Amino acid sequence: MGVDLAEMQHKLKVVITQAAEAGQLESIDWTTYPLPQHLVQAERDAMALPGGAQNAHSANLNASTSYLSNGAYLPERIHKRKNEDLEVTATEEDAVTPSWKKHNTNKGSMEDRMTGKSKKHDKKQKKQDAFRANGLGTNADVLEKRKQRFGYTIEKSYFRLTAPPAPDTVRPLPVLEKSLNHIRGKWKNEHNYNYACDQLKSMRQDLTVQHIQNELTVKVYESHARIALEMKDLGEYNQCQTQLRALYKLNITGKSEEFTAYRILYTVYTCNRTDMNNLLADLTLADKQKPAVQHALQVRSALASRNYHKFFRLYLDAPFMGAYLLDMIIQRERIAAMAAICKAYKPDVSLCFIAQELAFFGDVDAPDPDAGLRQ
Amino acid sequence: MDALWDDFATAQNTCNGYLLATTISPEPPATDPARLYNFSRWTNAYSVQTDLRYKLQYNPSVHLEKKEAGAWLEVFTAFYTFTGKLLAAEEAQTAGKNREADWSSVYESWKEVLSTVYRGYSGNVFEAWTIPCLYVVGKYLRIFAIKADEQAAASQRDSGLAFGGLQEEDACSAASKNEKLEDAARQINRIFALCLGDRSPLEDSRKWALYYTANLLFKTYFRLNSIPLSKNILRSLRASATDTPPLSAFPKAHQVTFKYYSGVIAFLEEDYALAEDFLMSAYQTCDRRATRNVEMILMYLIPTKLLTAHRLPTQQLLQQSPTLDRLFSPLCTAIKRADLRAFNAALEAGEDEFVKRRIYLTLERGRDILLRNLFRKVFLAGGFEAPKEGEGEGGIAAAVRRTRIPVREIAAALRMAGATEIEDGEGGVDGDEVECLVANAIYKNFMKGYIARDRGIVVLSKAGAFPGTGL
Repeated sequence: MGVDLAEMQHKLKVVITQAAEAGQLESIDWTTYPLPQHLVQAERDAMALPGGAQNAHSANLNASTSYLSNGAYLPERIHKRKNEDLEVTATEEDAVTPSWKKHNTNKGSMEDRMTGKSKKHDKKQKKQDAFRANGLGTNADVLEKRKQRFGYTIEKSYFRLTAPPAPDTVRPLPVLEKSLNHIRGKWKNEHNYNYACDQLKSMRQDLTVQHIQNELTVKVYESHARIALEMKDLGEYNQCQTQLRALYKLNITGKSEEFTAYRILYTVYTCNRTDMNNLLADLTLADKQKPAVQHALQVRSALASRNYHKFFRLYLDAPFMGAYLLDMIIQRERIAAMAAICKAYKPDVSLCFIAQELAFFGDVDAPDPDAGLRQ
Repeated sequence: MDALWDDFATAQNTCNGYLLATTISPEPPATDPARLYNFSRWTNAYSVQTDLRYKLQYNPSVHLEKKEAGAWLEVFTAFYTFTGKLLAAEEAQTAGKNREADWSSVYESWKEVLSTVYRGYSGNVFEAWTIPCLYVVGKYLRIFAIKADEQAAASQRDSGLAFGGLQEEDACSAASKNEKLEDAARQINRIFALCLGDRSPLEDSRKWALYYTANLLFKTYFRLNSIPLSKNILRSLRASATDTPPLSAFPKAHQVTFKYYSGVIAFLEEDYALAEDFLMSAYQTCDRRATRNVEMILMYLIPTKLLTAHRLPTQQLLQQSPTLDRLFSPLCTAIKRADLRAFNAALEAGEDEFVKRRIYLTLERGRDILLRNLFRKVFLAGGFEAPKEGEGEGGIAAAVRRTRIPVREIAAALRMAGATEIEDGEGGVDGDEVECLVANAIYKNFMKGYIARDRGIVVLSKAGAFPGTGL
């Protein structure tokens, strides 16, 4: 008996609604998904089996228990996925096997399901699930959907919050820790700044709404700051820096020496007198003993007295990632140094001397010698 | 108790603003130390209104219009509540139970007093001669705010709430530890706007309170470390300069304070010429006996003068105050003697205090002057050149100093003065560094001349090699 249009359309609507509710609209592979009429046909076949309704009920019980045991497997699955270096998220993977099929995972591997060994069994589950969804809305189903949305995702894009966030989209601490490692790995391999920035911002958001202020928060901000520094994104860097300062004040351990040095260099770059004053007032004696901070302070004092010679020597051996910040200062300092040299030295100076003084190497373009002269 | 009302009556009848202000002051006058205590005991919350009305409206010795009496009624009602709170807080403090002294509610009740006074003025009920009352309310508002904030900080510390705190956007938010003071700033700003917007003719105007209020605001903003807000005040004052009487017409005390703060603001903006003007004028107008004020002015005037005129203060000046002496004397001696080692040591010794006052970065520029002095000494030590042929006839030849100085000599002088930065780590001297220092001096016009690198000498100009020092 064929499936008529009305039934097919009804089934189609049901499938789509379910997929939308479970947030799988994008992730289900619709091209391979069974057509509505097939689904209806399968339903009918199953219903024709004796005790179909009973099956539904017992399968329901099985499903609940199997789900619960399945839940315990979930972290491992995520773990394994990472090791296998697959780049799919939890939702994506689940979409390949529609939600209700998960009830069988403790029995077979994903592969088994895909090759259709137990396809008939699957179809029966599907029918039962559809049957349930239409009427009863069971615990298993709701739990299933929640699992996907409940923030077991390692990768999550950043969306600006305009209202308190939905609790099921916020990732808990353990997931965030894994997330950070994952993002770091990807950055190392791919150097995709937009992606990394996006992911890190969403992590920061998750941490903020949960009021988490611990070493992980510090690590996230530090990673983001370093990445921003490398890509010369000073806006983002400044945000992270401000937060890090507040976090260090709460006595959370982190690379405070490194970042204090960066802060000093950043303030030097922005020529912000008030900030510099405040910054110097905040430095403790212990801070000033640390080599990176000492280096940054020496840079500051060299620039304050326009001692370009010393500045360029310091530029050459900047600790940590300070060189990135100094790169930004160096352009204007070179011009200032040229001005002094042009005024003071007569009749002429060798290019070699200038190249050496101003820390040029190899075939880097030397600045226009006349630029400073007219100052 | 009656002394208060007597004063009030006298003040009203003789239009004595300052006397009037003492009636609502939180500090009882020396002649009547128990005044507040008596005032709070005199009536109770139930009958305060009627009692006050009797004293203000139906009192034969006080002739007030109905509206004015009504306004004063409000003021004294609020004042009554305030005295109750103040006495409770003071008692708790003297009894040693600091935690229970509720300065927060003292602040709130004083704010009420301020509001009532404000209403009196904005309704044009109080006449302009009463503006010392504004001074009193503003001044004590600030003081109580500071006390309330201190107490809040102490209690937070004790209860360990300091780390919990409020959190907003990103991980941490700014501390709310100056909450009351910020509120006080807002209130005083209201008063300022009120005074500024007074349209009455000058003799009867509230504009005379302008500079006092401005000074209060400066003090508050400085404490809150938000200097930019002070610039707003300066801007509004400048904008209304055509309507207000000139600064010189205001009481000297207002003038000195105002100039001091304007000078410091200019200093922090690195506008040293303007800062010098203000601070010098403040220094000259300031009464010599107000030693603390003089000290504060000098604290900023000395670095400013150092930068603008390259002048150092005399020993005599510094000895006026022990703090100044301790902080600046070693620096000045070091600069005069071109002793780099001593200079660095002195700067480091006073570093904390300098940084706190934000003069550290300016004092570093003293090093430039020191180097100039050093080079000058080398120049002098170089002796004179042998007179050229054909010159010096008639014996009136001016002896010309040697103008070609080898860089080596300068390097040696620097070593002697204790400059460690020119060493290249192997016991030798980094000649390039020395050249750099000389180049900077030339660039900044401390010296006139040039460096001839290939010959390793510095050639100085024959006339005026060191501008400003008479050489």
